[in-house]
Amino acid sequence: MYQYDAIDQQLVEERVAQFRDQTRRYLNEELSEEQFLPLRLQNGLYVQRYAPMLRIAIPYGMLSSDQLRVLADISNRYDKGYGHFSTRQNLQLNWPKLEDVPDILAELAKVQMHAVQTSGNCIRNTTTDQYAGVISDEVVDPRPYCELIRQWSTFHPEFAFLPRKFKIAVNATESADRAATQVHDIGLHIKKNDAGEVGFKVIVGGGLGRTPMVGVTITEFLPREDILTYLDAIIRVYNQHGRRDNKYKARIKILVKALGIEEFRSRVEAEWAHLRGKESTVPMNEFNRLQGFFTEPSYLELADKPNSLASKLADSAGFARWYERNTFEHKKAGYRIVTLTLKKPGQAPGDATAEQMHKAADLADKFSFSELRVSHEQNLVLADVRQDQLVELWEAAKIAGFATPTLGLLTDMICCPGGDFCALANAKSIPIAAQIQDTFDNLDYLYDIGEIDLNISGCMNACGHHHVGNLGILGVDKKGQEFYQISIGGASGHDASIGKILGPSFAQEEISSVIQKLMNVYVETRHEDERFIDTYRRVGITPFKEAAYAKTN
Amino acid sequence: MPKLINNGAIVENTFQWLQDAELTADANSIVPAQHWLANQDTIGPVAGIWLEAGDGTEILADTDLSQFSVIGINFPAFMDGRGFSYARLLRERFNYKGEVRALGNFIPDQLGYLLRVGFSSFQFNEDVNLEKALELHKPFSIAYQGDVAEPKPIFLRR
Repeated sequence: MYQYDAIDQQLVEERVAQFRDQTRRYLNEELSEEQFLPLRLQNGLYVQRYAPMLRIAIPYGMLSSDQLRVLADISNRYDKGYGHFSTRQNLQLNWPKLEDVPDILAELAKVQMHAVQTSGNCIRNTTTDQYAGVISDEVVDPRPYCELIRQWSTFHPEFAFLPRKFKIAVNATESADRAATQVHDIGLHIKKNDAGEVGFKVIVGGGLGRTPMVGVTITEFLPREDILTYLDAIIRVYNQHGRRDNKYKARIKILVKALGIEEFRSRVEAEWAHLRGKESTVPMNEFNRLQGFFTEPSYLELADKPNSLASKLADSAGFARWYERNTFEHKKAGYRIVTLTLKKPGQAPGDATAEQMHKAADLADKFSFSELRVSHEQNLVLADVRQDQLVELWEAAKIAGFATPTLGLLTDMICCPGGDFCALANAKSIPIAAQIQDTFDNLDYLYDIGEIDLNISGCMNACGHHHVGNLGILGVDKKGQEFYQISIGGASGHDASIGKILGPSFAQEEISSVIQKLMNVYVETRHEDERFIDTYRRVGITPFKEAAYAKTN
Repeated sequence: MPKLINNGAIVENTFQWLQDAELTADANSIVPAQHWLANQDTIGPVAGIWLEAGDGTEILADTDLSQFSVIGINFPAFMDGRGFSYARLLRERFNYKGEVRALGNFIPDQLGYLLRVGFSSFQFNEDVNLEKALELHKPFSIAYQGDVAEPKPIFLRR
């Protein structure tokens, strides 16, 4: 993974000193609440319902085991001994003290971490596929490109006060889009042209929130050396013309929609004409330098499906289940990608205790070259596990609560912190996740239902990505009461779509039974090998709607 | 006379920011750009013009900017970042070499970014302590991106 040199290190240290001074001046009342707000937000610090929340950046989800141990220690010493991994591959601490944050940032800086631009109206953490670099059908490893964008976006002097937040996600494979790129402000698909040159398909204007939209293609192929000048051009147009009169209409998607993609594209092209080929054009040696940080680890020459694995798969239904669901094909023979799920019943989705973080770091040291990734689905990934060590890893992961074999199934939910923590939320989301975990606890049934994305957000801001869940649950406030709207048919992959609202919202206690009814419709109407989303797309919303609202006699 | 920060020092402000276009401009006035454009034949000599957020720099495309000692850019609110692009465009696209002055509701903590996009002077609101603001009058010593002071991004300088 990327390693800081003296330049990178100095910058994060200067940032810590700057934020320490800003915090001091705020506490001295030299800085007003209003002025401190965007300054602290650009350092990931919110003031939440009960306490501040600090969002620590995990650039494109890459973590070393040592970094994870520091996160665990910080959560123990400055918080309540746990953290929450978010859909944008970051880690949130829910209970730090505001006056401790400069010290936390100083400790993070020692392991090349920070909280820069994890919030605020600026360019946020760039995210990508959690399987980057270890799958066989990838065009190229997207991580060097993510690092290039990370550096370009960090303290960008022109774009620190945009109309609204700005999120970029990168994908590098045709077979899947695990980074939900089409619902980002900019989605980048790495591809090769006919001449074999690497470049990007650029998608702009996707996003969730109050006005969910799937992005539109602004250019089919942008040569990779032009990426930064082109991003500058897009965001310069947005910075000048995005709406600033209404925060709910301020995202770039609204501008793209209002102008139309043709007009938006022509403005970007006109701006780019001035920037193209200038100093920010990325030279080959920089791509080479960055790629040098993401070389293959020292893999052994091994065969696929060693005997020990084959016999365990035959003997243990539990192991076979875990292998089938929670591990994924690796590009290198004899290796496997393993997801450590953070979806244990009784624990909020995406949450990990300090003890679990330490355990995951130990597992990474023992089984996966001391590196981990955080996934958009709020799990941890060990990317390079030897197949002949899978059984041993499975045993250890079970003890640590990481082996719930439900990856991609109904109970592998995306869930925001919701009204239990968040000041913006209209309703709680974690109890909904818990209710679903409790109701759907039969693994055979979950396997029979198969792949389905269930996403839960506690409010319209859509941190839980409910719009793009095959099933989405949105917390709403009805005269002071918490209710939940269910949507159906969303998707976040290459086939991205926004879900349709089923109908009037439901009371909290009804949610599981409504989901059960929807599952019944699916099971009764599905064709063989049809996933939930396929059946929905074939039969439409009506049968689901009728079942959900049918009066029981 | 009110003071401002210019080229890193606290100095007397010799120009007058004419916020109301109805007032009479003189050789020390910084007048609204739209007003100057509409009246350039009759308005007489001025110190400079100022851009309101939303004006865009493109309205100056046919104007010889070298006639102005100063071009101001107003921040209606410090969260309104349009002025960052305007300053950069004045420097990089229009090649304007004179004083680019920040006006309005920007705050001292933005100085690092403002300097990097080409602002050279800062006319803070009256409640700002300029000595304290001056302590923030420097960007980080490292910049990943190119900017007005140093167009080369870090990858050309590592």
